[in-house]
Amino acid sequence: MRNLIKAHERVKDFDWEHSYAEKPARYPTKYVIPRKTKDPFRHLIRDYVSMEQEKDDRQYGAMEDALARSNSAGKAQPRWMEILKIALPVVNFGEYAAMKCCGQLVDTVENAELRQGYMAQMIDEVRHTNQELYLNRYFAKHAADPEGFHIGMKARGSNLFGVAGRAALEAFFVGDPVEGALNLQVVAETAYTNPIFVTLTEVAAANGDNVTPSVFLSVQSDEARHMANGYSTLAAVVSNEDNLKYLQTDFDRAFWRQHSFLDPFLGAVYDYFQKERGHSYLEKWTEWIAEDWVGSYISKMEPYGLTVPECFHIAQEQMRWKHHTAAMLAAASWPLHFWRWDPLTESDFEWFENKYPGWYEHYGPFWENFRQITKAEDGVNPMAAFEALPPLCQVCQMPCIFPRLDCSEVRFREYGGRTLPFCGAMCETLFFQEPIRYAQSRTFWQHHDGVGLADHLVENGLLRSDGKTLIAQPSLDTERMWTIDDVRAWGMEIRDPMPAITAQLAGANASGNGAGA
Amino acid sequence: MTAMLPGTVDCAGKPTRDFTYIPSRRRRLSEYEAVTCFAQPDVEVFDKQGWLLRDVNGRTPWIRGSTALVHPTWFLFRDPASHWQRTYVRMQAEQERAIARSAEDAAADGVFREFDPVWTREILGRHYRAWAYAEYGLFRAFAVAQREALSDTLGNVFCFEAFDRMRHAQDIVLHLLELEDHVDGFVDDGAKAVWLEDQRYQPIRRLVEELVAGNDWGELAIVTNLVFDPILTELAISQLVRRFGPFHGDPVTPHLVGTTERDRRRNMAWTQEFVRMVIDPTVPECQKNAATIGDWLDSWTPRVQEAAKAMADVYDVPPLQVARFDEVFAVAQRTQQELVAGLNLKVGAAA
Repeated sequence: MRNLIKAHERVKDFDWEHSYAEKPARYPTKYVIPRKTKDPFRHLIRDYVSMEQEKDDRQYGAMEDALARSNSAGKAQPRWMEILKIALPVVNFGEYAAMKCCGQLVDTVENAELRQGYMAQMIDEVRHTNQELYLNRYFAKHAADPEGFHIGMKARGSNLFGVAGRAALEAFFVGDPVEGALNLQVVAETAYTNPIFVTLTEVAAANGDNVTPSVFLSVQSDEARHMANGYSTLAAVVSNEDNLKYLQTDFDRAFWRQHSFLDPFLGAVYDYFQKERGHSYLEKWTEWIAEDWVGSYISKMEPYGLTVPECFHIAQEQMRWKHHTAAMLAAASWPLHFWRWDPLTESDFEWFENKYPGWYEHYGPFWENFRQITKAEDGVNPMAAFEALPPLCQVCQMPCIFPRLDCSEVRFREYGGRTLPFCGAMCETLFFQEPIRYAQSRTFWQHHDGVGLADHLVENGLLRSDGKTLIAQPSLDTERMWTIDDVRAWGMEIRDPMPAITAQLAGANASGNGAGA
Repeated sequence: MTAMLPGTVDCAGKPTRDFTYIPSRRRRLSEYEAVTCFAQPDVEVFDKQGWLLRDVNGRTPWIRGSTALVHPTWFLFRDPASHWQRTYVRMQAEQERAIARSAEDAAADGVFREFDPVWTREILGRHYRAWAYAEYGLFRAFAVAQREALSDTLGNVFCFEAFDRMRHAQDIVLHLLELEDHVDGFVDDGAKAVWLEDQRYQPIRRLVEELVAGNDWGELAIVTNLVFDPILTELAISQLVRRFGPFHGDPVTPHLVGTTERDRRRNMAWTQEFVRMVIDPTVPECQKNAATIGDWLDSWTPRVQEAAKAMADVYDVPPLQVARFDEVFAVAQRTQQELVAGLNLKVGAAA
């Protein structure tokens, strides 16, 4: 019988003071982490691999056995299955970015105990990346409509929301490694993996998809340990008072970077793709983020000098509307994507109004109209209803339309001789804290400016196997599906709205009206 | 079968039912490729819009200069073992179970008490235990390399090797705990001082610290898997611990070492594949890459050889002389030269 306590003590005594070669500060951090902290994991590799093998066998075994024989993927609600075409590739990058974050932490945090935890998380993240790609491929093989699943990782790279997801998740490993850990472990994993891997599985199961829960719940069983990593990292950071002067700013930034993408995205996935309806995203957000994460975790850090981000209250206020506005824009721009929409019905309207009082007043007319213009033979371009495409935020890459179109907080600021758009005060603040981090980013509209919409779809492989029908559709109707010819007939070009906005603002300035939102 | 399912599209051609964006090595896409390839975004592949965040010095998420080697498409690399997390973890779980059972049986049969006491105290308690620090250092180096590698298929082999190294380091500690439990008077202490102060180990420590301090993931793979392991690990662990063990009543430790040799073979194989990839004549920078690798071999091989020689008299410690250091050194050196020559690379200058 081996002595586990001794074993843990000894494997945590592997570090030594290097004296022959000085390690470069590859990932500079302003934080000082004490060399001794609490062990977050208490797993030896011997136990870890055995446990993970068993979990893998259960999950992959279920997918290939009972779930395949019962054709769970094929029989699931089509409305739900469609959104997984983008959701899985986006979440997948979060896992991959997390793996890179752990490598940085191993290098930077001179603490053998925390390193053990980062190492196990590093390989966990490989696990999650593999699991989710396996799931993506599984749906390509078994879903009723596989098109979209078959190009997931490629399509993510050229999708407006896929790109915005990458912008948020790059924060896991680009920058100060401790700030990366705040983004990943303290915010994304502790706050947001419950809405992603727990509550989404409830929606999936209610909508006939028992495959996603098999994978996501297995992922989540690792996340609990990653939350422990985050807690240990945070506890180590706050144990040194000198760190506190940076911590709050970095924490606020981490919360906002994750919120600004994850909530509009997850909220739209959750609320707009349920057919068999249950809870709303706001209800689950309140339970997991406001009550659990803030109420039971972050607020308890206050005695140590870390407070709930001020921007959390802005986020909370905007949660009623933000994802509805995002969903509206995503639906209006449906030809750009690689999934199908299932237009909302009267019973959906009722559910939304019940869950979000006032919803119909602000969004009902759009969705009433949307379901009238889904027929290919009518050839209506939903984007034509807008005067121009909305600018995309220089920081979060999301459209500047939040919280609602009628009260958008979009603003424009000059930087380096350019006029830059921001979706609200927080992203503007983040930009001017560290302009070098965001100034060179190009938005989706900038990158594709001047490209014909039909050409964009062809170039990015967004057509079905017949070479003419779009993968994306505004409805699940298959009688007369939209083709590339229908889109080409619009003669639409992707146009970056910023040159016109810049000119307009310059004109307003010249006439003394001042610039601004 | 799915034609009648709700949501089915049967009017837009026969739907594509597998990933179409991965150039597979064989005729059909492998499971390994499907779950690995293009997890990493790249602005020259599918993410042409560019990077969306920089650090405060303007550094992008990945940078081409993270290795001196140049290749137009790092994403073409394939691990010859085709490992993804499930297969890798399953293999290591099997190895760990085998080690645990071997130790359990040895304990039950009283085998630990049959170990030669000098062997236990000096070779296992000091030499082998000190090696855990070398493995831990390499774990750190490979964890950084997985962060920086320029494709997912490369990042994963570095990640698995980081894990291999930590596994070996931990297993050495667990093995000595078994000895503490079953060998009267044996205590695992003092090896850290050996690692930090014993002159015979300082050249090895220097090499490990230099590898941890290095900034080139290509160099790390080539130096560790084509020079350090074939010479130094071979002499310090395989030839001494594995080969001498049975002659000192120890059939258990060689079994543990055997599992790490399995890892070493795998890591050597992917590194060979990696070298072949960058010096392939179709790669525009193949000659420059070969020269770069040649420079690394020139720089590291003599130092690795010297580090091996510095610990030569450890071979005099075991009571039974199973092999002489000079003989096994010559064999290891020749084998490593053949390994490098087999890749059409120049052997280190001092060889």
